[in-house]
Amino acid sequence: MFKFLLKGVFRDRHRWLFPVLIVMFAVALLIFTFSFLEGYKGSYIRQTARFNTGHLKVVSRAYAEMLDLKPYDLALLDISEELQEYKQRYPQLDWVERINFGALLDVPDAEGETRVQGEVIGFAIDLFTDDTESKRLQLASALKSGKLPAAQREILLSAIAAEKLEIQVGDTITLIGSTVFGAMSMQNFLVSGTVEFGILSLDQGAVVADLNDIRMMLDMEDSAGEILAFFKSGEYERREATRIANDFNARYSDPEDEFSPQMLRLSDQGNIGYILTMLDYSVLWMSIGFILVLGIVLWNAGLLNSIRRYGEFGVRLAIGESKRRVYWSLLTEAIIVGHRGRIPGESSWARPSVCISITSAWI
Amino acid sequence: MHLITGFLGSGKTTLLNILGSLDTPTQGTVEVLKTKIHEIKQKEASRLRSEHIGFIFQTYNLLPVYNVYENVEFPLLLLKMDANKREKMVKDAIEWVGLTDKIKSRPNQLSGGQCQRVAIARAMVKKPDLVLADEPTANLDTENSHNILDTMLKLNRELKTSFIFSTHDPKVIGYLRRIIRLIDGEVQSDDLASGI
Repeated sequence: MFKFLLKGVFRDRHRWLFPVLIVMFAVALLIFTFSFLEGYKGSYIRQTARFNTGHLKVVSRAYAEMLDLKPYDLALLDISEELQEYKQRYPQLDWVERINFGALLDVPDAEGETRVQGEVIGFAIDLFTDDTESKRLQLASALKSGKLPAAQREILLSAIAAEKLEIQVGDTITLIGSTVFGAMSMQNFLVSGTVEFGILSLDQGAVVADLNDIRMMLDMEDSAGEILAFFKSGEYERREATRIANDFNARYSDPEDEFSPQMLRLSDQGNIGYILTMLDYSVLWMSIGFILVLGIVLWNAGLLNSIRRYGEFGVRLAIGESKRRVYWSLLTEAIIVGHRGRIPGESSWARPSVCISITSAWI
Repeated sequence: MHLITGFLGSGKTTLLNILGSLDTPTQGTVEVLKTKIHEIKQKEASRLRSEHIGFIFQTYNLLPVYNVYENVEFPLLLLKMDANKREKMVKDAIEWVGLTDKIKSRPNQLSGGQCQRVAIARAMVKKPDLVLADEPTANLDTENSHNILDTMLKLNRELKTSFIFSTHDPKVIGYLRRIIRLIDGEVQSDDLASGI
């Protein structure tokens, strides 16, 4: 009987053509939209994680309360022992120390007097132990001119800031800031290159310096504003992140001690959790909407088709087919037609991997 | 072979539908093949039709996307019959109506007479006890009508299947043993005919 139904469905173009086209189009569109949003979400997470949040981040409880200000005077102190312990306890993570700081960039003239000044935000990362951080921030591909720092006290400057302040690669600049204890600090750096990350807030005025240089400048020996952790898989694993954060905080964090460490998930920082939830809901509601619209269109197409086949149903009932069996056969036909539309829809240009790649590349 | 005849609106088709358990009477009792149609449930009615009753319609009502073989096969699929036995029965039925050479043809490739032959084969393939034919010759010319009626008469004799016709086509009358005339839903006369 199934074979008989199958023949009927495939031979009668009126039964399958319109529904198949609708299903194919809708499936392709749904997959494309879903993949686009998933791709966008993935890129957003990757971008945010590598520059700002990590997949997980350890800061002092006081720092966590003013996370957006990145107050390095509330940094984690004497961290090397603790960091070793974290690495052993959570081997699925790559751990890195960072300091985010604000400074005044002073450019001297030939006489050593200030020629121009500008505010910059600074990223202190480990540039020399290995190239993990350089790769993570994709410094090589972000390099617009010059070269990556090869020695201590060499820094990278955002290309826009360099142009605005008329700084050339090879110029010496001075960063003026304050130490973790509040004292004024100044340090000269050689601009080894200019970079452009494609992130406006960074490109307008950022410097990337080596962690040890900034530690010395800000008097933060064996300290870090933030310790970032990244899953070795490279992907943010939401459930695992939650499990690790809960475990870490239960083990190391003390609500009574504002300088005790606190682990934050990527989604705990800023409004990232809200954005990710919104993206998830967007996909859900879009899927529901698509399915509803698709259902209504196909329902109407089915009704019209049923009117056309009214005589056929009458004959089938007269021959002795039960109503239940007629309904069942229609349901089977619907499933067959649905699959006939789904398969080309899925295998069309809207393949998830392609969409995700397009989105990632675009973003 | 029996005839129910009468003017338009006299109730021929309604009576045929009740006999075929497609409709139930609003009053009175109807018994067909020892089954009380007035008490029958839908599932039992379906089974009665699939196992014991065949239908032939004025407009043939073949399933247009299926070929001759498949149209004739359909009633047997409902009986969940063994495939080999089914194939033999289908081929036999097609042979009875003389369409073996058209076995792969679709209804739109057949003439009206041929379509009605397929409809007869479909009604006869399961060797039912009763065939109900509603205006079977209404869309056919004289030659085709006689061919169809000859075929039915042959099957009536060979397979011992009863035929009940609903028609006012005078060509049919010569083939019948009994004629029931209806007027406004009531039997006006019930006569034996001479037959062929």
